[in-house]
Amino acid sequence: MNKISKHLLSAVLFSVGMPAVAQEVADTTLVNVAFQKVAKEDLMGGVSVVDYRSLMEKNYNTYSMDNMQGYVSGFNGAGMWGFTDQLVLIDGVPREANNVKPVEIEQITFLKGAQAVVLYGSRAAKGAVLITTKRGKVTDGLSVNVRANTGWNIAKAYPEYLSSAEYMSLYNEARANDGKAPLYSQQDIYNYASGRNPFRYPDIDFYSSDYIKKAYNRTDVTAEIEGGNERTKFYSNVSYYRQGDFLNFGQAKNNSIDRFNVRGNVDMQLNDFISAYVNANATYYNSKSANGGSYWSQAASFRPNRVAPLLPMDVFDKNSMQVVNVLAGTKNIIDGKYLLGGTQTDLTNIFGDYYAAGHNTWTSRQFQFDAGLNFDLSSVLKGLSFHTTIAVDYATTYTTAYNDSYATYEPTWADYNGKEVIVGLDSHGTQDKHTGNQEISGSTSNQTIAFNAHFDWARSFGEHSVSAMLVANAFQQTISGQYHKPSNANLALQASYDFGKKYYATAALATPWSAKLAEGHRLGLSPSLTLGWKMHKESFMEGSIFDELTLSASYSSLKSDLDIQDYFMYLATYQSGGWADWNGGTGITCMQSKRGGNEALGFISRNEISASVHAALLNKALTIDASYFNSTMKGLIIEAVNQMPSYFFSYYPESSFRSYLNYNNDNRSGFDVAVNYKKQFGDFGVQFGGNVTYYKTKASKRDDDAYENAYQYRQGKPLDAIWGYECLGFYKDQADVDNSPASKLGTTKPGDLKYKDQNGDGIIDNKDQVELAKGGWYGAPLTLGLNLTLKYKDFSLFALGVGGFGGNAVKNNSYWWVMGENKYSAAVRGRWTPETAATATYPRLTTEAGTNNFQPSDFWLYSTSRFDLAKVQLTYDMPKRILGEGIVKGLQIYVSGSNLLTIAKNRQILEMNVGSAPQSRFYNLGVKVAF
Amino acid sequence: MKLKNIFLLGAATVAFTACDDMFTPALENNQDISQMYNDADFARGLLYNAYLVLPYDGSPSTELATDNAVSNDIDNNYKKMATGSWAANNNPINQWDVRYHAIQYCNIMIENAAKVSWGYSNEGMNQMYIDNFLGNAYALRGLHMMYLLRAHAGFVGGEYLGVPIHSSSEDGSSDFNLPRNTFKECVDSIMSDFNKALALLPEEYGDVAEGGVPAKYTKMGADNSHYNRAFGNVQRGKIDGRIISAFKAQLAIMAASPAYAEAGAMTYADAAKYAAECLTKFGGLSGLQQDGWKWYDSDLIDNMGATDKNPAEIIWRGNLEKSNGLESDNYPPTLFGKGRVNPTQNLVDAFPMANGYPITDAKSGYDPKNPYAGRDPRLAAYILVNGSTIGVDDTPINTQADSETLDGLNRENGSSTTTGYYMRKLMRSTINLNPSSNTDAYHLQARIRVTEILLDYAEAANEAQGPKVAVGGAPYTAYDVIKALRKRAGVAVSADPYLEECASSKDKMRELIRNERRLELCFENHRFWDLRRWKANLTESAKGINITNVGGVPTYKTFDVEARDYKDYMIYGPIPYSEVLKWSNLLQNDGWR
Repeated sequence: MNKISKHLLSAVLFSVGMPAVAQEVADTTLVNVAFQKVAKEDLMGGVSVVDYRSLMEKNYNTYSMDNMQGYVSGFNGAGMWGFTDQLVLIDGVPREANNVKPVEIEQITFLKGAQAVVLYGSRAAKGAVLITTKRGKVTDGLSVNVRANTGWNIAKAYPEYLSSAEYMSLYNEARANDGKAPLYSQQDIYNYASGRNPFRYPDIDFYSSDYIKKAYNRTDVTAEIEGGNERTKFYSNVSYYRQGDFLNFGQAKNNSIDRFNVRGNVDMQLNDFISAYVNANATYYNSKSANGGSYWSQAASFRPNRVAPLLPMDVFDKNSMQVVNVLAGTKNIIDGKYLLGGTQTDLTNIFGDYYAAGHNTWTSRQFQFDAGLNFDLSSVLKGLSFHTTIAVDYATTYTTAYNDSYATYEPTWADYNGKEVIVGLDSHGTQDKHTGNQEISGSTSNQTIAFNAHFDWARSFGEHSVSAMLVANAFQQTISGQYHKPSNANLALQASYDFGKKYYATAALATPWSAKLAEGHRLGLSPSLTLGWKMHKESFMEGSIFDELTLSASYSSLKSDLDIQDYFMYLATYQSGGWADWNGGTGITCMQSKRGGNEALGFISRNEISASVHAALLNKALTIDASYFNSTMKGLIIEAVNQMPSYFFSYYPESSFRSYLNYNNDNRSGFDVAVNYKKQFGDFGVQFGGNVTYYKTKASKRDDDAYENAYQYRQGKPLDAIWGYECLGFYKDQADVDNSPASKLGTTKPGDLKYKDQNGDGIIDNKDQVELAKGGWYGAPLTLGLNLTLKYKDFSLFALGVGGFGGNAVKNNSYWWVMGENKYSAAVRGRWTPETAATATYPRLTTEAGTNNFQPSDFWLYSTSRFDLAKVQLTYDMPKRILGEGIVKGLQIYVSGSNLLTIAKNRQILEMNVGSAPQSRFYNLGVKVAF
Repeated sequence: MKLKNIFLLGAATVAFTACDDMFTPALENNQDISQMYNDADFARGLLYNAYLVLPYDGSPSTELATDNAVSNDIDNNYKKMATGSWAANNNPINQWDVRYHAIQYCNIMIENAAKVSWGYSNEGMNQMYIDNFLGNAYALRGLHMMYLLRAHAGFVGGEYLGVPIHSSSEDGSSDFNLPRNTFKECVDSIMSDFNKALALLPEEYGDVAEGGVPAKYTKMGADNSHYNRAFGNVQRGKIDGRIISAFKAQLAIMAASPAYAEAGAMTYADAAKYAAECLTKFGGLSGLQQDGWKWYDSDLIDNMGATDKNPAEIIWRGNLEKSNGLESDNYPPTLFGKGRVNPTQNLVDAFPMANGYPITDAKSGYDPKNPYAGRDPRLAAYILVNGSTIGVDDTPINTQADSETLDGLNRENGSSTTTGYYMRKLMRSTINLNPSSNTDAYHLQARIRVTEILLDYAEAANEAQGPKVAVGGAPYTAYDVIKALRKRAGVAVSADPYLEECASSKDKMRELIRNERRLELCFENHRFWDLRRWKANLTESAKGINITNVGGVPTYKTFDVEARDYKDYMIYGPIPYSEVLKWSNLLQNDGWR
């Protein structure tokens, strides 16, 4: 240890980091980390890795980051170590995780610790995910793999809404509660309930098979070709997929997504000391849909009794001239027998839209190109090399559409001899219009340029191994409609030392640059230091149960401008905005102050201590990796709201004299543990992985001057605290209302929610909100991931379970907060009435805004804790003895099911999407052939 | 070879240095305040912020929190305010931020107007621009302060307090922990600002002939072409001397009213004097425009030129603009409107009969079975009652509870009436909202009308000297004013026995004046403030009318639509909660917390 200390002292620049590795990655496997590959055994904490290529042999995924928390610890599905907004790098370049397909991926590395991302600079300050794509290998001839999958998405659950008749009678009840006369007569309700004429008395069920398919298909096919020799290697991947949609009527029937892409790369050894590579990817993506709003949001808001979307022409009174004229003039006769229905209050509706408003295609094209050179500079200095990469990405999107408008008709019904007929049609001013012109809109064009270069030097002197890296990296993105370009510039130096692969030390100093800060404040200094000790190599560990036992610890202080939202936030400035008018002068430009100045505005610092342990036991069949972290984001920026008067800001025209300050601190701490076990028993093989990630957050510094009572202070509370009222149940009766603190939140009557007056001031207002629970906004506080692989001869069975525990949410969507003219969900059946006061599960109904009840409170709080059986796949690899020596070298067949089962107290809530497309289970059948 | 490559790559790095936002931020149009000295457009633009946020609403807002109207929008903030949610941290009438913010810009102009190079070679013209902007800055500071006072002044532990007076601009290093000035100090400071402005601004903007230029400017070499740019027709619509005299009348009547009288800032005699001074500039009572009570729906405004003089009724107005927003909000639903502002039965009942008697008077001849017949013509003009017609096709509107149309009482939440009435005042009846033939029309927003100042005078004169005494230099009495206004509207045209009855008693006259004010100024957002300065009853529930046919005959039943849940202390508004917490010297008004 003394030697290490000496080296530490002599090192001027330092930083931190240690890795944990998961999912059957061998010790000698090279792991992609910042700007280099490191043998897994030399990782010292803060890093987790997934061997994606082998994962895909037993678990076919359709999305790159699908359930990664099932394989690694420290990542919880949303982010790492309590942070979100991690930087995703594909082959070292910032790119979208959904633009790389699982079949293209070799490895995914999770850079969790500050020490692991220091070399990247500002933009990776909240962690980085490195997705590395496959590259060509030396092969005997060409290696060709073809994979095809087809599967069906089946909706898990739909929200339940009341039928027309039930809605109407409960709406009458709501009106009665508000002191209004009923809107619907008993006869109306009877007519709607009877179902005898659904066109006159509609009862639309958005989730019926009239509109929705039971399942939709997703099919893909991929061909991979690779090959090469010692000098040149290549890999290419061509793939296509198509998926449908649940909708089953009108133009929406044709809703679909197509995606085609080609990815390829070439590695070349140019001469003895120069090698080069080129990577390219092109993606073509089209999404076709019917014009109109979102069907699912309409399904959650459009009441069942409002409109009959289709009016059958066979009940039209052909003797009515008005009807005859409409029929002669209309351009939209649906399925040869219907006209589109509407009313004056619902002039158009989603059904009319999907039948007659036209359709559009959203097109996205992405082209990505990387080139790199590696120089072996041993002739200059032994152990020295130079590496550089430049990447250019283009992405464009646009929409092509045929935008039509259409007339809807409100029918006038009459009874002729006991037959109900439509004798009049009123279009209320709506008109049919077919444009026939393709319109192009929403063009965007984005670009990324990334560059990095580094000198690496590595030497061993006996047992002393020394390495160093000097790296410059920068990238810049140009985003349509965004004036400023997200940028990252960083220069960093890292030095590593190990003694006999027993004692490790790594120090780094990065100097991120930010143009968002004032001159003189643009350079940050990010030091990091990591120490590691392979304890099992000590003589005193001989004969212990540990095959490996590595301890490491790390400290880093990363400077970042990631949370500095805008440029020039330090600068007091005036800009023009708004126009003043008077009789003779119009559109006279006004000048507003946009902010007060604060030239001292500085970087935000991620100060982190972490420690890791890696252990292997039972002849390395069992490995355990664990980390602890404690991280504080220091100096987060606030606007000087409490330091300056409220009138320093005005909404219109937006004008402000307030300045920005580095003020808030956010603390995150927690641990993660990964356990992996792998063993072969004759023909039977077992592999198990278990991952646990826990984090907690605390607002460690806040400006709480705006709060009068200590319980309101944000400082010391979780960052994801849900604030709301403590509910004391329903008001029992008018006396209860009269004798309770008056609510400033809205009208209160018996059956409304009664809240606790926390400060005892006799009124209920937002000062009475308290911390209710943790939201889990940065991923579930406790995340569990379990994966199990069982192999018997040529069969393998894979199962993946993921759990998230400790998070909470408020039932605040339109399914739960039913007010005014909202659609009535099944939730309102449990409403409070004087008769059901004892058993009510829902406040009294109202046609008003219900603002007293519809507030965050523990009444609406629910736990989002859950465990999911995320995946089961059965795979059969046809053995060589059956395949023989033909051109087919390998054949794999597999069936899988995704999102099969959820175990949760609130499963029904968690599985129900309100206002968006349903969650689905996915059943897939796949085959892979190797030639 | 290898070194060359390294240099090439080095060059690539340099290429990045050319990228904006990487090493230096891409330029934004950031400008420093010092630019105002050399850039007159910049300097003007600063003051115009105070014009952008003038305290006037073109459609009913605070009115919806009174006994005059309710909104059918369940999310309306004034509705929530009136039904109990009004609090120091939830205050729809908060003026604190927007007014002080505007005052900051006024102060910047006051401190710098003389230092700005207005860009004219003629010294006289430069001086005219200095005077114009300085004068406007003082007037606007006074105006914004007046509206701060109205919304936030109050009673604190036995003393009438106003708000802190900001006499200079502030920056991050200013002392923000300022105590409130007294109500009187605030009124005095506002009057002082108005007087400073009067010394700098002309009585009325308008082109002058040669020789019409004040000597002050001719001495500096200006002629009428210069004057006509700085103070001519093109400046009409900005604040001038006549408008300031109306501000003074408004300030005076507020300060003299029961809610503030004890602060000793103004008396009713003062208020009558300021109102009379203002009215003199508009031709007094004889200048009353006969169709002025329907100024918003007149051919007059369709033919008005941008820099024309205002109609006689209008003291100050907003720009003439073509729109149909007011109509799409307030037309009945069968005419494709949202039916937002629903006048109350309370307001309808306040309209007298055409013979001048209130409907509660035995001599009125009011027939509860035919309640809209024989009424004050203003009722039909301002309010759409059951069976009235409106729109381009004169569509009859059926607001009955048993109506077959969407216009019926509570038929469609959010578009049908909740009171049995729709608003008609302020709207242009030529507008058609049918989606296939959508039209718009000119709207003239009256910020201050002569009628308002006349009513100020009548109120002040009656309080000061009684109904039939001319006060403050005016050649007419409160009685004369009320008589003229009623006659203009077609009420008791030949003889007004009820007015004669009231004229014998100051108290009866007070009630009549207040009622006339309610009718004449309805939907113009005066009622909320008038009730408060009068210390009148704030809690009268808003009522509606439920009409159903019984045996073919409409029957009328009044009902409570919405509570008016105000406490006694709510005659004064609150100081913002957040500011009271932040600044220890800033005291909250009694009752609020």
